[in-house]
Amino acid sequence: MRFALETDPKRARTLPFVAVWLILLLLGGLSLWAAFLGLGMWTPAVQSGIAAIQTALVFTVFMRLKGEPSLKWVFAVGGFLWLSFLFGLSMTDYSSRQGWPTMYDPSGPSYQLPRHSP
Amino acid sequence: MPDSAVLRPDLQYASLAQQGETAELGMWVFLVNETLFFGALIFIYFIYRLTYPHEFAVAARDAVLWCGSVNFVLLLTSSLTMVVAINAAAQGERRAMVCWLIATAALGCAFLGVKGFEYYLDYQDEVVPVVNYLSKPGEGRAGELFWVFYWIATGLHAIHLMIGIGLVLYVLAWKIPRGKITPAYYTPLEVIGIYWSFVDTVWLYLYPCIYLVGRS
Amino acid sequence: MSVTTVERVPQGDAPVSAEPNYLTAEHTVASWLLTKDHKRIALLFFASITFFFFIGGIAATLMRLNLATPGGLLQPAVYNRMFTMHGIIMVWFFLIPSIPATFGNFFIPMMIGAKDLAFPRINLASWYVFNLSGLVVLYALIMGGANAGWTFYTPLSTVYANGYVFAAAFAVFINGFSSIMTALNFVVTIHRMRAPGMTWMRLPLFVWAIYAVSVVMLTATPVLAMDTFLLAAERFMGIGLFDPNHGGDPLLWQHMFWFYSHPAVYIMILPSMGVVSEIIPCYARRPIFGYAGMTIALMSIAILSFFVWAHHMFVAGISIYSAVFFSLMTFFVAVPSAIKVFNWTVSLHKGRIVFDAAMLYALGFVLLFTLGGVTGLMLATLAVDVDVHGTYFVVAHFHYIMVGATVSAFFGALHFWWPKMTGRMFPESWARFAAILTYVGFNLTFFPQFILGYLGMPRRSYTYPAQWQSWNLLSSAGASILAVAYLLPLLYLGWSLIWGRRAGANPWGATGLEWITASPPPPHNFERTPIVTLDPYAYDPETGGYTTQEGTLHAG
Repeated sequence: MRFALETDPKRARTLPFVAVWLILLLLGGLSLWAAFLGLGMWTPAVQSGIAAIQTALVFTVFMRLKGEPSLKWVFAVGGFLWLSFLFGLSMTDYSSRQGWPTMYDPSGPSYQLPRHSP
Repeated sequence: MPDSAVLRPDLQYASLAQQGETAELGMWVFLVNETLFFGALIFIYFIYRLTYPHEFAVAARDAVLWCGSVNFVLLLTSSLTMVVAINAAAQGERRAMVCWLIATAALGCAFLGVKGFEYYLDYQDEVVPVVNYLSKPGEGRAGELFWVFYWIATGLHAIHLMIGIGLVLYVLAWKIPRGKITPAYYTPLEVIGIYWSFVDTVWLYLYPCIYLVGRS
Repeated sequence: MSVTTVERVPQGDAPVSAEPNYLTAEHTVASWLLTKDHKRIALLFFASITFFFFIGGIAATLMRLNLATPGGLLQPAVYNRMFTMHGIIMVWFFLIPSIPATFGNFFIPMMIGAKDLAFPRINLASWYVFNLSGLVVLYALIMGGANAGWTFYTPLSTVYANGYVFAAAFAVFINGFSSIMTALNFVVTIHRMRAPGMTWMRLPLFVWAIYAVSVVMLTATPVLAMDTFLLAAERFMGIGLFDPNHGGDPLLWQHMFWFYSHPAVYIMILPSMGVVSEIIPCYARRPIFGYAGMTIALMSIAILSFFVWAHHMFVAGISIYSAVFFSLMTFFVAVPSAIKVFNWTVSLHKGRIVFDAAMLYALGFVLLFTLGGVTGLMLATLAVDVDVHGTYFVVAHFHYIMVGATVSAFFGALHFWWPKMTGRMFPESWARFAAILTYVGFNLTFFPQFILGYLGMPRRSYTYPAQWQSWNLLSSAGASILAVAYLLPLLYLGWSLIWGRRAGANPWGATGLEWITASPPPPHNFERTPIVTLDPYAYDPETGGYTTQEGTLHAG
């Protein structure tokens, strides 16, 4: 709740935020540029990494998590930890399936049964 | 001018400081919930993109890149104006706080405006599943999955943004005129700021998922 | 064997306090519907969940009447709607809110020495959102009901089922927000509002259990919210997210559904474990064995419950390697539960056991939970599951846990805390009779279902081959006994509200902070915030005395 630079002149208070804002814009631009580089299957990995760095910056600076570790950190990280359970453990199924990811041919013949109203 | 002696903690709290810290912790606990809500949607996108990389690449080319990028800048800037407003609240600079809050709400509305225009363009491009959808060559049946994700993700994100704008307007129209935001206790604004920055964070993930696919 | 509790010496009514309590402080309807008092909100939730318990119970009654004979009673299509609505209503509108929203709301602030929860308005909002979701599910029910099973598997639910699936799914979606608000309140309250001296390791195990359940609710429910939202959208708009015709994967829906619904079954059992951990020390008159182990077990169950969900999907089409992994994790999650059962059992050793109604329910819980848990291990075994998946073996397993264990603990909590909430004592002999009748009726209803499942009777079927009728008839007969056993408390507890002896502050001689204040409690719980000096469960088995957590010794 207390800003570290409270007693400093006005410019010093807002400067860190403006600096982080510029860095976030640059990272976004980097992500945009990477999309056109033709990195193939590495593109989403690079873009996810950039998004993760951006998230860390927004959390620590804009959402004021920086400073000494506190209970808020546990909850800030906890959501992502639980997401890793969902992603990771589901991949035990998907990654070990026969013939995945080309599991289904959506252009193949389909059967039509009558749809029902809600 | 209202002073902080008017503000008393609710009866279950021993002090305003305890009330403030508890409210902030409450918002972080709520964000766990939001992370998993949007994360579940991105999980579905993740599985389907891994399953149909080519179809997704073809379908995503119709995403309007300039709209998405302009919105990226607008939302990020609104996060900046929000934290500057909170800074002003901490210093008791009431006029600056109000100005920056209005800027935040305005940038949020600009985002929604661009999004609305983008939706209009999407309708023209015939990428609205069920309503007005035309499969582009090469995207098979699965390309529509990308667009289902697009409409649901951006729709839910826009709803969350509207709630954020509503909260900012609530503070501007109700709390500030009644003197409830003072340097001694400006937690409601901090809590809304954390929520606002989180809505921005969601866009940090939606942007590459939607607009930066299949561009090369 | 001793049948009286420590303080229950023959006495007239306890003196009636001149101070208003939380029930008498205000009388208007608005003071109830717009209350911020967590105790009143608890009673509001009580009313709602009791109503839905009866609705779900009526569905169960019709199902068991239908299954008493192979010829049946209901049309097959109607039967499908019965089991679907029974599942949806019992899971989301009774079991999940049951202990947290009632006893949790009432007693968490009191047990930690606080005046209210952290966010009282969110607490009230949670009740209103619950009722909103209840209205939607009642609409679905009255219009004819959904018929895709409470598990809503796609594409049956999204494309082919012709019942009110959208309304039911939407009701579940709204209901999730009620859970989330309650859970958020509990987590923040337990972190920030504990009285001076109330450290984490001095918290009663009920508080730990509610904390663990709140963590699970908070992290699991949003995934269900997204899943039901997408289901409702697909149903309503015909989009093809989980439809194989559009390249969708039905198993993806199931993965997300069970990512929530497996932790959901732990949401349903953890609070009851907390209740039993309160009742057993009090009625055995000795401290719980292995307090630290119990807290670690609670948190382990909460986290491990997220690693096992695909054991519901062993035969759905997931890869065999994934199935092996989830089977192994399911064996692991049984370990902390088993530790708790051992600890409860050892807690009875050398105790001066009092067989009051609450203790009978708690002991029944331990036995029925053990049986249900062991059959869960049988289901976790891949080779066994291939044969009994989708049969009555599974139905019996989860009813042993959810009804045998959770509902028993709910009634145990009701009897344990009834004097504190209402200021009245109930007739103990009737209560003991109801507890024993519950146990008999329950086993008669559900044990035959293990046998039927083993013999191969599939679940969700309105009829069955004639050679299984005797087991089904036995099960239906047991259900009628169980129904009586569940109705009895309504009668004698209702009687006690008007004619019951007035209760003192601590009729059972228990050590928690909620027992140091009057029965019923004053609106703000405590005159002065108590200062905690002791670990919980300071019962002295040697002398028969006990000390409440703020330090008041009561000699034996």
